Amino acid sequence: MAANVRIRRYQACYAMLLRLYPRPFRKHFAEGMAQTFHDLCREHTDAGRRLFGFALWIFCETLGGIVMENILRLNQLGKTTLRVALGALAVWMVPLVSSQFFEDWHWGVGGFARVYVLFFLTGMVMALVARRMGVWSYKAGVGLALVAGFALGWSTMVQTADSGHPERLWYLGVLAVGLIGASFARLHARGLALTLFAMAATLALIAMILPSDAPPDMARRMAIGHGVYVALFIASGLLFRHASLTESHREPNRQAPAGA
Amino acid sequence: MPKKSTPQAPLTPAVLHILLALSTGERHGYGIMKQVEADSQGKVKMGPGTLYGSMSRMMEATLIRESDKRVDPEMDDERRIYYELTGVGRVALEAELTRYRGVVAVAEGRLAHGR
Repeated sequence: MAANVRIRRYQACYAMLLRLYPRPFRKHFAEGMAQTFHDLCREHTDAGRRLFGFALWIFCETLGGIVMENILRLNQLGKTTLRVALGALAVWMVPLVSSQFFEDWHWGVGGFARVYVLFFLTGMVMALVARRMGVWSYKAGVGLALVAGFALGWSTMVQTADSGHPERLWYLGVLAVGLIGASFARLHARGLALTLFAMAATLALIAMILPSDAPPDMARRMAIGHGVYVALFIASGLLFRHASLTESHREPNRQAPAGA
Repeated sequence: MPKKSTPQAPLTPAVLHILLALSTGERHGYGIMKQVEADSQGKVKMGPGTLYGSMSRMMEATLIRESDKRVDPEMDDERRIYYELTGVGRVALEAELTRYRGVVAVAEGRLAHGR
């Protein structure tokens, strides 16, 4: 009886220790590790041996594993960031070099810096989200949202730089809604669906309230452009909604899926 | 996307022992530990940190995979996650054993020559 209480106490401490593992590792192995720890403690007490020294050894050994896994994860994240930064730099060279051949291309340092940030952020989102991709509609939703978001950000940058209308930067608010929503949703499909619908609504609202002194023909084309963006965001939101429904159907039937 | 392993690459002792333990059938974490201990005549004692850290990388390299979650009839009634060898894992184990045989042959030849 006393042994059971001791084991439970050590188990609670071990469960707290396991929280220090990176989340993806914990998700896969924490349950198994806790069970294994319990089995080892049970074996040890059944053999009539003292538990303290043994538990201490396991704690130290697991702590070593925690340090190792966190270092590996940081390395991986660092490598991803470096790759995306270099990739963004390569893509960024396209407008930089192109601007040398077009006389009416006057972006300035700030414009180029913003475009680089846009490339980098798009790349990072793509790299981080790619790890979660499982359902086809989730992948399609991410692709569509990134393409639409990037096109919106890009055209806003170009138009602001060319026309000198800083109020057009309001359109970047749509992207801000997307970033905030995605971080709140923690990239879960259901939350991302709501985020994309909110982006579509924000864009429609900005298009309506932003004053436009464009001639009728230009205004009509702008309205069509806004409509296309809104449709793309809604389509992406519907894809995420489909992904969330697929995930929720799969969840109850999930039977220890093949990990590899 | 899991990385594809290169079966010819030398394996770490922990990975080799886990592959050996799973070569006769699927086992849960504690079962693997006990089998490793038995296979090494008690010389190798793996803690959960080493075991699951190695298994994480082995799963990424598709050497092993989760097979099932069920109760072990020889233990309590808690459901345990079982792991099993994949085809890639079996090839890697056989390649490693062949490499070991080669090393042993060279070593024996040298020692016989040196006597």
